[in-house]
Amino acid sequence: MTDTRQPLLRVTDLTVTFGHHHHAVSAVAGVSFEIFEGETLGLVGESGCGKSTTGKALMRIVEPTSGTIELGGVDVTKQRGRALRNARTHMQMIFQDPISSLNPRRRVKDIVAEPIDCWKTVEGAERDALISDLLSKVGIDPQVYGNRYARQFSGGQCQRISIARSLAMRPKLLICDEMVSALDVSVQAQILNLLEDLKAEYGLTLLFIAHDLAVVKNVSDRVAVMYLGKICEIGPADALYDAPAHPYTKFLLGAALEADPDSPMHSQVLEGEPPSPMNPPTGCRFRTRCPNATERCANEEPLPQEMAPGHLVACHYPLSITRR
Amino acid sequence: MSEKLLIVKDLSTTFATAGGPLPAVDGVSFDLEQNETLGIVGESGSGKTVLSRTIMGLQPRTNVTVTGSATINGFEVVGASEKAKREIWGTEVAMVFQDPMTSLNPVMRIGKQIDEALRVRLGMDRAAAKARAIELLELVGIPSPVERYNAFPGQLSGGMRQRVVIATALACSPKLLMADEPTTGLDVTIQAQILNLLDELKERLKMSVILVTHDLGVVATRTSRIVVMYAGRIVETGNTRDVFYHHRMPYTRALLESSPKVSNLSHTRLTTIPGRPPNLLNLSDGCSFAPRCSYATDQCHLVRPPLQAADEPGHAFACWNPLPTTRGASSS
Repeated sequence: MTDTRQPLLRVTDLTVTFGHHHHAVSAVAGVSFEIFEGETLGLVGESGCGKSTTGKALMRIVEPTSGTIELGGVDVTKQRGRALRNARTHMQMIFQDPISSLNPRRRVKDIVAEPIDCWKTVEGAERDALISDLLSKVGIDPQVYGNRYARQFSGGQCQRISIARSLAMRPKLLICDEMVSALDVSVQAQILNLLEDLKAEYGLTLLFIAHDLAVVKNVSDRVAVMYLGKICEIGPADALYDAPAHPYTKFLLGAALEADPDSPMHSQVLEGEPPSPMNPPTGCRFRTRCPNATERCANEEPLPQEMAPGHLVACHYPLSITRR
Repeated sequence: MSEKLLIVKDLSTTFATAGGPLPAVDGVSFDLEQNETLGIVGESGSGKTVLSRTIMGLQPRTNVTVTGSATINGFEVVGASEKAKREIWGTEVAMVFQDPMTSLNPVMRIGKQIDEALRVRLGMDRAAAKARAIELLELVGIPSPVERYNAFPGQLSGGMRQRVVIATALACSPKLLMADEPTTGLDVTIQAQILNLLDELKERLKMSVILVTHDLGVVATRTSRIVVMYAGRIVETGNTRDVFYHHRMPYTRALLESSPKVSNLSHTRLTTIPGRPPNLLNLSDGCSFAPRCSYATDQCHLVRPPLQAADEPGHAFACWNPLPTTRGASSS
């Protein structure tokens, strides 16, 4: 995308390797992407593809092995101590399990106040007002529920409290790791709508990591598809879903179930399972399951090529982009 | 095909809790034909899992009261002794549980876990059981079944483990297979494989299948009929197409509209259901959905609506102020 907008986050060749030598697992094997200010990038993939590790590496919860992460033009990859602490205020993360990510024995208002109290951004009456405001924004009445303990809340409410906590420092980038996958559909819809509202209100930029293709499409401007530690396709959400260029994306979309009895049944089901990231295939990582794979795919790793403006695919034989 | 395999009549399961009686399943009635796939849909806490376990006769021995009747191929499950139920488990009805990680014994080779049922229930000898177990592993699509026979569950992926669980359930050729969230926790491509496998096995072995799930996508194309549950009761039931396209109960519509669809454009605003599912310990006398329903009237809060027949055969809903019928508006 030859865009005049400035990327808020630029990730270049990020790799994360766990273990050493023979036991090395490259969970993230060279991932590059940008997120522009005010946009939502969806990151989809199946379990074990490295999407959560990517999110955690951005927050430096796990250390990147190589590559660079630039936030607002500042390289945060090698920052330490005070500088890293400062950088982290601009990024916040919301985790999958809403209940275990909150301390059950603390009061809701203290949980939300934690980042504010750490940084002493505001104090006294102003602090209390800010906390009440944050809680009301996420739909939790501070008068009634502020003094309750986190354990007294349901999953959906806990996720609301997590959102309030993550907004306390007015971050620029919010990383949401499977934030709705533990919730029932009716609650999931409430949280997704809330997220869209807050994004507009606070001018947030989002990295939305999830395995549910329908959820990701609903919130994202652009979508990146990961397979075995690499991004195989990235592009505008509607274009990518309408006309996937990577065979894996096509299979993934074909396997997604629509709540509609008349939706076409995809006869082609992806066979087998992803290979172990301890011993990934040579060349293209998807070639062992790809019906179009040739010798070239085994010898030569496909590099991302631009199919349409902003639509990149890493495949030697991309599917022609024709609208479904 | 008129003979009913399963008849559930006014089935209720009530747990005795410290907070009082908790009606997890309340007056549920439905039936199932031979070789039919039925979907039971609901959110967490709607009673769908307790219902399927009650039909299996798997409820705990204490602190639970089951009333009503559930007959599987003529066998009354409610009130039957453990010994009597053991006669139907495996041969008449078998269950595939949600979590393939925990429903297998981690320190027992998978072959032995399939053998167990064959040797105990069908009295096969060791060699015959092993041969049949390998056949079953092949049937559920496990590559190199002879080697896998000696594998431990920990050596298999989630999808493979779920295939093993299905193989153990099929060991004694049950007439009814109950699958409780069989694909929750599996990746989409693996989910498609498992659902296709269940479909194929149902046709090949002439079984009936009950698919219990929270995911409307799973039941949409895989079932012929659906039961929608809310707060322990059936709120709507009918042929899959009728429930999806001609639903009358506002909850069914809300459930359908609140799930995001792949075909939606990005940033589509989702329709939400305000509030949360009710506390089963403290239910009102009226419709359980009334506090969250935009059509609710005084009558809804005071009197519980019974299931009433809709225009389509087999379609029924429990609502005092049903949505207008959409017959004719969309012809399908």
